[in-house]
Amino acid sequence: MSSAFPLSRRMLLTGAASVLTAGSHAWARSGPRVATLDWALMETLLAIGANLVAGSELRQFRQVAVLPNVPDTVADLGLRGSPNLELLHFVKPDVIFNSNFYQWADPLMSAIAPVESHSVYQPGQSPYDLAMTATLALGERLERPEAERLVHDLAGRLHRHGGELRQGDGRPILLINLGDARHYRVFGADSMFGEVLARLGLVNAWTGATSYSAMAQIGVETLASMPDAWIVLIPPHPQDALKELTESDFWNALPPVRENRVLTLGSVNPYGALPAAGRFADLLTEGLAHAWNG
Amino acid sequence: MRGMASLSKPLRPVPAAFLPVAALACACVLAFTLLLAWRPHVSGEPATADILDNIILWDSLLPRAVIALVAGASLGLAGALLQRVLRNPIADASTLGIASGAQLALTLGLSFSPLLAGLSRDLVAFAGGLIAVLLVLALSWRRGLDPVTVAISGMIISMIAASLSVTFILARGEYALSISIWGAGALNQHDWNGVISLAPRLVMGGFLSFFLIRPLNVLALDDSSARSLGLAIHGLRFVILLVAVWLAASVTATVGIIAFLGLAAPSLARLCGARTTGQVMATAPIAGAAVLFLTDCLTQLLGPGFSDLAPTGAATALLGGPLLLMLLPKMRSLNIASTGAEAASRAAAHPNALLTGMTGLLLLIIAIALVIGPTPFGWSLARGAMFAELLPFRLPRAAAAGSAGGLLGAAGFIMQRMTGNPLASPEVLGVSTGGGAGLTVALLVFGFISPLTMLGSMTIGALLAFLFMIAVAARSELSAERLLLAGIAVSAISMALISMVLAQGDMRSFILLTWISGSTSRAGSFEAWTGLISLVALALPLFAFHRWFSILPLGTGLARSVGLQVMPSRLTLCVLAAVMTAISSFLVGPLSLTGLIAPHLPRLIGFHRPQHQLAGAIVIGASILIGADWLSRVIIYPYQVPVGLFAALIGGPYLLWLLSRKERQR
Repeated sequence: MSSAFPLSRRMLLTGAASVLTAGSHAWARSGPRVATLDWALMETLLAIGANLVAGSELRQFRQVAVLPNVPDTVADLGLRGSPNLELLHFVKPDVIFNSNFYQWADPLMSAIAPVESHSVYQPGQSPYDLAMTATLALGERLERPEAERLVHDLAGRLHRHGGELRQGDGRPILLINLGDARHYRVFGADSMFGEVLARLGLVNAWTGATSYSAMAQIGVETLASMPDAWIVLIPPHPQDALKELTESDFWNALPPVRENRVLTLGSVNPYGALPAAGRFADLLTEGLAHAWNG
Repeated sequence: MRGMASLSKPLRPVPAAFLPVAALACACVLAFTLLLAWRPHVSGEPATADILDNIILWDSLLPRAVIALVAGASLGLAGALLQRVLRNPIADASTLGIASGAQLALTLGLSFSPLLAGLSRDLVAFAGGLIAVLLVLALSWRRGLDPVTVAISGMIISMIAASLSVTFILARGEYALSISIWGAGALNQHDWNGVISLAPRLVMGGFLSFFLIRPLNVLALDDSSARSLGLAIHGLRFVILLVAVWLAASVTATVGIIAFLGLAAPSLARLCGARTTGQVMATAPIAGAAVLFLTDCLTQLLGPGFSDLAPTGAATALLGGPLLLMLLPKMRSLNIASTGAEAASRAAAHPNALLTGMTGLLLLIIAIALVIGPTPFGWSLARGAMFAELLPFRLPRAAAAGSAGGLLGAAGFIMQRMTGNPLASPEVLGVSTGGGAGLTVALLVFGFISPLTMLGSMTIGALLAFLFMIAVAARSELSAERLLLAGIAVSAISMALISMVLAQGDMRSFILLTWISGSTSRAGSFEAWTGLISLVALALPLFAFHRWFSILPLGTGLARSVGLQVMPSRLTLCVLAAVMTAISSFLVGPLSLTGLIAPHLPRLIGFHRPQHQLAGAIVIGASILIGADWLSRVIIYPYQVPVGLFAALIGGPYLLWLLSRKERQR
């Protein structure tokens, strides 16, 4: 396994150290108290320095999305599927931001505070564009100039990364998340990661069908159909699945594996907004750059 | 074996069997040829592409084909063994809960100790499957392992296992993980390890069955004659059961749940002319292998590019429903006249006083749910201003949970009274899962849906499922057994649809998953009023029908002789039960076992008259769900556990207690 991923550990370290706009704003909080159930909105709010008082499933968020840092002062509302509204009531938010995903909660939460909706994931629409719109809207609503800066910084960063990546091998990139040893989810062109890939000037190796959420359950044998690609593994994945897969003959016969074209990134929230997009772009660019330059 | 042949009907001439066998064999060969010919090829430079094509062919396509054959044969053999040993034409790894028990054990093993699961996956799966099947048999023991009761018990155990699996996954915050958890096994292979581990088991299982055929034939005789052969017969049955469970659990551990194959294989074997035990034993594995192989080829052929159309396990589950329906005419109706009233103890002296006491208890539970609870500042009694502040959150939940409980209690009462089967419950009627299928279709069509669309699509799904069942059971004047079996069949079809979408692991899966876990935290005024109005409008009129409830369980003949129109009255009650189930499953999800438990307790307490039993069932149903809802939000505050867990936690021990109680009565 370690021979298959010469870069993974270094990658994780550099990934964690990479500077993101979010962390630096974590302690400059003022303005209206805001709360949200949606992870994409939550990371946006954190990144623009909003005064976030409650979010959902923070334990899981810290593991899956990793960044931005969620301050300990933010109340954990529990599972996204069944948030604790009594607790939300006790933290007394001034405004609650919600997405189409938790639309059912609108009438319940509007009794606590005004609810405003912004959606990042809609069937048939670009999540990157929607995330940009949502970020700017949130910035305007909360009067945080950081929002505009976040959008511009990210565009600039993607541009810079893109320039760096143009020096590379021009191979297509396959973005996958292992489900078990025999299946993976793939991020197609309509996913957030897929869009970032396109903005970085890279080619997505997955051209097949994806459902609107931009993922599908695919058998690992299909990896053989993309011999030219870089295989980029995006955690979290079950440990035993990765072990079983990487020990198999099939895996080790794959050209990307034999030619050391496998990258494991740090964990990124696949349903994130601009901060997740930025984190993904940073991790990917650094990983590829390291691989190309040795 | 020869003796058996002479005891049963004479063998049909072979040529009659030739046609289906030849057709199946041709279909398999044709499908595989097409698969080989049309399989997508790797693009790129020819040399590399050739190597990769070879890898795909030798390390993926062929082991997949072989594991389809091996897994199919194992499940076919397991099904044949189970059907023989239980003398039940619908016994199979899925109907007996073996597969879901094994799956739950694997999920738990993975949650608590990943290493343990890595070392002894098979053992874990075997233990889970065995516990599940023993529970199922224990539940139906008192009814002489009557096939219908066995199937219902299997359904209940599967449901508890599924609700526990869902809860553990939700508790870990993983909404879309390993595909195999959703009752949708997949056969994708990337090496020969699966085949290497499974094939020897099949050989050994076949070997053991070969030696067990002879004594097994003795079992085909009456129990009384078999008993005269001594205690050994029970030991033998148990050994055969172990072999079957071991085979089925091994398949589950290797490729996930492949539903209903054990049901399909022996029926197909009989269709192809197998008559004696020996013939069925020999043919069922072959039939199972062929069916799974064919299904797997088709899902590969129909899927776009390199991906499959659907997980093979979910595709075979689609076969399950129609097969059960096909087997319906073969089921001998026992027409058990007695209600669960048999379980009733002494008549209660003052039923009205008791009912008042129970209502008092319900009010107390409601008061606790509204007043006591943890807050960020610790546990507190909500009083004055704080009570008024929290009421908007707590009251709709209590109202929704309570009315759903009452509806389920009433629906369960109808089902148990009408079918005379104390294990009948609206959850196994197929109506809740039918509603789930409606929700699935709505999600596929609209993407995101509002609560009103959700309720609408679920009601339509539930009613369609229900009408279909009625159409199937109508031929036998809606007899209890037919209705229950048709319900299980519809449930199987709906679950197959739901699993397919769950297996996608996308955002729609998330919505389905939250629905399955049954989350009352969503209850607002819409849900509360929907529940309360339905309870008043649907459950109260039932009290006017109390005469029907006294007469219908006595059997069709008697009911008609006292001048009751059997068909219309059954139909009316069925529609009421279906609508009540659909609404409650919208409110609390499909897995709560309240509809099973709530009608039992009033009988045990000693209510004899239908009105008292009905009122008792409604009050107890409401109490259970309000209590469960309160527990679900206080136990790991601020996280809220799905109510499904508490349904299992309350329902499981209750069923076990019921068992021990009945054992003592024997």
